[in-house]
Amino acid sequence: MKQVSQTKKQMSSGSRRRKILPGVFVFVSLLLMVLPLEGPVSSVKAVLSYVFIPQIRAAHETVEYAKGVSDTVQELLDTHRENERLKEQLRQMQLQNEQAREIFKENARLNTALTLQAPASWNGVWAKTAYREPSQWNSVVVDKGTASGVQERSAVIAQQGGQPVLAGVVVEVTENTAKVLLLRDEDFSAVVYADPSGEEGLLTGSGAALPKMKYLPLLSTVKEGETVYTSSASSIFPAGILVGKIAEIERTDGINSSLTARVEPAVTAAAIQELFILTHREETK
Amino acid sequence: MHSALKLFLFFLVATVLHWALMAVSGGWGMSLNFMLVFAIAVCAFVKPEYGYPTAFLCGLFLDFFGVKLFGHHALIFTLCATLVYALESRLDFDSVVPQMVCVCILETFAALANLLLLKLFAGFSAWSGLFPFVGGIVVSTLVAPGVFWAVRHAFAYKRTY
Repeated sequence: MKQVSQTKKQMSSGSRRRKILPGVFVFVSLLLMVLPLEGPVSSVKAVLSYVFIPQIRAAHETVEYAKGVSDTVQELLDTHRENERLKEQLRQMQLQNEQAREIFKENARLNTALTLQAPASWNGVWAKTAYREPSQWNSVVVDKGTASGVQERSAVIAQQGGQPVLAGVVVEVTENTAKVLLLRDEDFSAVVYADPSGEEGLLTGSGAALPKMKYLPLLSTVKEGETVYTSSASSIFPAGILVGKIAEIERTDGINSSLTARVEPAVTAAAIQELFILTHREETK
Repeated sequence: MHSALKLFLFFLVATVLHWALMAVSGGWGMSLNFMLVFAIAVCAFVKPEYGYPTAFLCGLFLDFFGVKLFGHHALIFTLCATLVYALESRLDFDSVVPQMVCVCILETFAALANLLLLKLFAGFSAWSGLFPFVGGIVVSTLVAPGVFWAVRHAFAYKRTY
């Protein structure tokens, strides 16, 4: 009985407190509202500032720190995204690079194929220079011989800038090799003509000097710079193969009955890597 | 005493969160009242001896930043606390929906009361548009379950009603 009355007393004090507390706080709030801001309210604010100011500062610093973290995270995320994008770009570039490399290779192969393409009207065989005396540039040994249809006195043509140019003539043949006498050799000779004058002459090698175009008529109108081609009068070479350009005309007051011109060969040492050897001379003529 | 200290620490954390959320939501033009959510959550799970002072203190914290009027937030928060304790026996604050409904209603009431009191006592119109008004209420309602969960886990065992 006593316990029940105590519990009732506690409950009534609790409910009384529940009614009083809000009333007190409402009263204080209204009081703060109606009081002038400059007077007692500012004193209350000053007291509260001791509690709230450090708290506000801490809150502000926390927010600023969180903002910094947010920015850092954002930067990291951006960096990660950029990194992924760049990686993807790098992969694409690597792929393109591989493709480009393949295209370059293919291009090189096609260029070689185009360069090595034999003139349509000529029958012959392509040969590679197998040996060349380093000190002598007058002859080379190629890797094709009688087994491939190569004969002595076969005409040898090189490709210079995509154009067939006269290189030399076969002078010795074995089953699988042939020795080519280049047009700089003193034993080399071919009937040629200058264009546009049309004057014919005999081209002969001069060793280290420029080859000569001999037996030009004294009253010839041939000029320096004219292009020299093989003539149809040649028994070895097909007509119309580029030989070179006239570099100089030797005019002497002697008893010579003809003029001699120096010819700058169109073929270069670099072009004498792949050579086309005509195998059916009679047909090509 | 231990509970009072813990409650004060929670109050400090709430002020930090209020500041942080104000900074974030302010950027979107919303006026979020996180302190009220905290006060409601405390009143939902803590005895009136602690709940009323906490609500009053939360209100004073907001009043501290005001320049036109002082005490109106404390009054509104006290009234909200009274409403929470009045609804306590009718609402199950352990469920999410009553929590959100209660916060939504009280946030609306507090916002309207704030406008009214400022107009009546300071002649100042604090209306800043529908979006800040509604946006703040919506966001407060959405964060309410999290705040209620934290307060309940920290103080629910103290409840004696």
